[in-house]
Amino acid sequence: MKIVESSKIQEKAYIEQLKNGLTIIIVPKKNTKKKYVIWGTHFGSIDNHFIMPKTKEEVYIPDGVAHFLEHKMFEQPDGTNSLDTLMSLGIDANAYTTNNHTAYLFECTNHFEEGLDELLNYVQHPYFTDENVEKEKGIIGQEINMYDDDPGWQLYINAMDCLYKENPIKIDIAGTVESISKITPDVLYKCYNTFYHPSNMTMVICGDFEPEEILEKVKSKLEPNENQGEIKRIYPEKEQTINKPFKSVKMEVSTPIFMIGFKDVQNDQEESVKKHIAIQILLEMIIGKSSKLYQECYKQGILLSQPDFDYEFSNQYAHILISGTSKDPQKVEKGILDTIKEMRENGIDQEHFERISRKVYGDFVIEYNNVGDIARMFLADTMKGVQTFDYIEQFETVTREYVQNILSSIFKEENKVTSIVEPN
Amino acid sequence: MNYQNQEIKSGITLHQIQTENYKTNLYAVFIATPLKRENVTLDALLTAVLRRGTKNLPSQEQISQKLEMMYGASFDCGVEKTGDNHIIKFYLEALSEEFLPKKEELIEECIKIILDLAFNPLTENNCFKPEYVEGEKKNLAQIIEGKIDNKSRYSYDRCTEEMFKDKPYGLYKFGYVEDLSKITPESLYEYYKKLIENCKIDIFCSGRIQNHNIKEIVQNNENIQKLQARKPEYIVNNETTEEENNNPTKVVNESMQVTQGKLVMGLNINETSENSRFIASVYNAILGGGANSKLFQNVREKQSLAYTANSGYVRAKNSIFIRCGIEIPNYQKAVDTIKQQLQDIQNGDFSQEDVQNSKELILASVEGITEEQDTEITYYYGQELADQFVSIEEYANKIKQVTKEQIMNLAKKVTINTIYFLKD
Repeated sequence: MKIVESSKIQEKAYIEQLKNGLTIIIVPKKNTKKKYVIWGTHFGSIDNHFIMPKTKEEVYIPDGVAHFLEHKMFEQPDGTNSLDTLMSLGIDANAYTTNNHTAYLFECTNHFEEGLDELLNYVQHPYFTDENVEKEKGIIGQEINMYDDDPGWQLYINAMDCLYKENPIKIDIAGTVESISKITPDVLYKCYNTFYHPSNMTMVICGDFEPEEILEKVKSKLEPNENQGEIKRIYPEKEQTINKPFKSVKMEVSTPIFMIGFKDVQNDQEESVKKHIAIQILLEMIIGKSSKLYQECYKQGILLSQPDFDYEFSNQYAHILISGTSKDPQKVEKGILDTIKEMRENGIDQEHFERISRKVYGDFVIEYNNVGDIARMFLADTMKGVQTFDYIEQFETVTREYVQNILSSIFKEENKVTSIVEPN
Repeated sequence: MNYQNQEIKSGITLHQIQTENYKTNLYAVFIATPLKRENVTLDALLTAVLRRGTKNLPSQEQISQKLEMMYGASFDCGVEKTGDNHIIKFYLEALSEEFLPKKEELIEECIKIILDLAFNPLTENNCFKPEYVEGEKKNLAQIIEGKIDNKSRYSYDRCTEEMFKDKPYGLYKFGYVEDLSKITPESLYEYYKKLIENCKIDIFCSGRIQNHNIKEIVQNNENIQKLQARKPEYIVNNETTEEENNNPTKVVNESMQVTQGKLVMGLNINETSENSRFIASVYNAILGGGANSKLFQNVREKQSLAYTANSGYVRAKNSIFIRCGIEIPNYQKAVDTIKQQLQDIQNGDFSQEDVQNSKELILASVEGITEEQDTEITYYYGQELADQFVSIEEYANKIKQVTKEQIMNLAKKVTINTIYFLKD
């Protein structure tokens, strides 16, 4: 097994790629009672057009299949549901679907062996029938309605619509009531056979384990699998411009909510960790708790709490998002743009940079407090092609000059969009 | 046990939790005072004003800058209802000293800052800074008006309000807009001075603290030295004296722009004998605790009526709240199905296995208490407010002893107090 280490935070990860292609990452945590296993496939809502490796068949699938498949994986031929089986052991089990991956997970203090057996069994054995697929459409339809009522989700989806013309990231992860009506067992099996091949999957295990021992245990429970070639995923061409600068809708909220996005059109996956750190530092400097802008907005009552911000990226998309609640979103936006301009023209203040660097470093270390957070982080980073410890180990290489460069290359006004949800 | 508590002065207690499970140390100060209509708004406003500045760090900007220099230490405060007490909570989280990139003293500094925030606020002419008070009154008004934004939370709060009408627990934790206008910087400061003279004060330190004499640091803190010993005013959480309620069910309907209806049902347990809270806890898990529960299985899985269907037990008020998101025309069907589940538990229509599964679910969360720093603090604080101390091990044992017969007997005493429905 390959061992990667971060001595600064006293953590190690053991990584092994099995013969069948499955990647297993083990992060041992001495003295914790909780154990966490997450098994993910590199298949998310954006993977809606692909060529199957064995048959070379080109497949288009309806919106929402990855998420639908996630729901259906728990159902077993004998009528039991694996989620129930796990829960009945006091094991907290769940699954989720994102833009670029689907994950099945469980967390427990006791009954770990039974939990692992069940997880390995149900993810390797799909069971889809006309009847059970139909029934699921009612449940997912309710889930879609719930998202329709969620102002925060509408805000995000509209921001994606502004940022991208064709990119499937703008599609609702769950699809629509209309699109899921087209899902059949055949569609689900095609996607399962393509994307749930071990070579397209990663498992992360975190808890008080001996790495060799747990690795052997997992290996003994995997079904034999023929190698399959590479999955050819077909995406629209990368877009160099935004789709539209502004979108606003009215919903039942008391105060407007806003999301400002900057599209990173140079997303080339080079130095993505360094870039991510730099963007995090910049966002803290622009609109973080101690920033002049936030303090000013707070005093004026146009921001009540610090906006959320993040850099979302994969090979297919990359953008910065800043979101919050404000009775005057335009004013907040103007403040952000003015601050960026000012920092670009006058340069980044050294003392400010050093202070924020300390904070951002601390934020990365705190991610290692909990076995679940660690496992999910390793999985999400693997799906993005990123090594998680790099956020700690490469931190010192992010200099003020580098950050200044990122500021001028990414935070451009022509790549900015604004999504707003206003009160009725 | 890794937990110990010591009296600093009468009414002021220090709690220490030694643990190496985290990268961080967590500090907390809790102020308990009885929930009263005339005080809730004052309490909520107070937390907002206290976080604006101390005598040593007179502005939010300075507080944030200070925390950023301490590797992204984070501070927050807020109000919570616990039983019939209103709790003002202050939290400060910072990296443990051994994970800092270079050696620095943080523990004493953190204790000093959190005690300053709670007990050494910025004042001008013997009252709070008027600018802060006026600003926070506006912000709080926005927060209170914003309660409609999260429909699920709103429905839950409204059901609680109707169920505990004119009783302390029915009060909204952030208070009332109409009470804000009469509060002045002077009146708020007068209230604050009285509050900290009479309230119950608990100070928690959790993490890698073994090499520090925390008691000495706290005792020598000048804010603590200024506080007098007191006979604290608060409501002891006495487990065996909650009143019974056998009024007919109250039905409340409310309309708003929603696609999904939110159904909340408030139940009274009406059983206060010794250990009945442990039985109620298992009863709740069978009813709506997880994927195996009656609600999940019957309301969501068998009838596809809802995406969410669960119940939560509010131990301090001996009440259960059932929460479902349903299609609006399915209201009656959902209510009938839920009532049938209550009836089925009374009739003993559940297996020994269901009992065992439900216990496993509770035991897993009990064992998980020591794996989350704030959960562990909250557990011990709950014991502090109750009339007797139950260790985590004893708690688990009491759950294990619950029998099916006890659950059936308790079920017979359960009544539906309020049915609340948010529709279009």
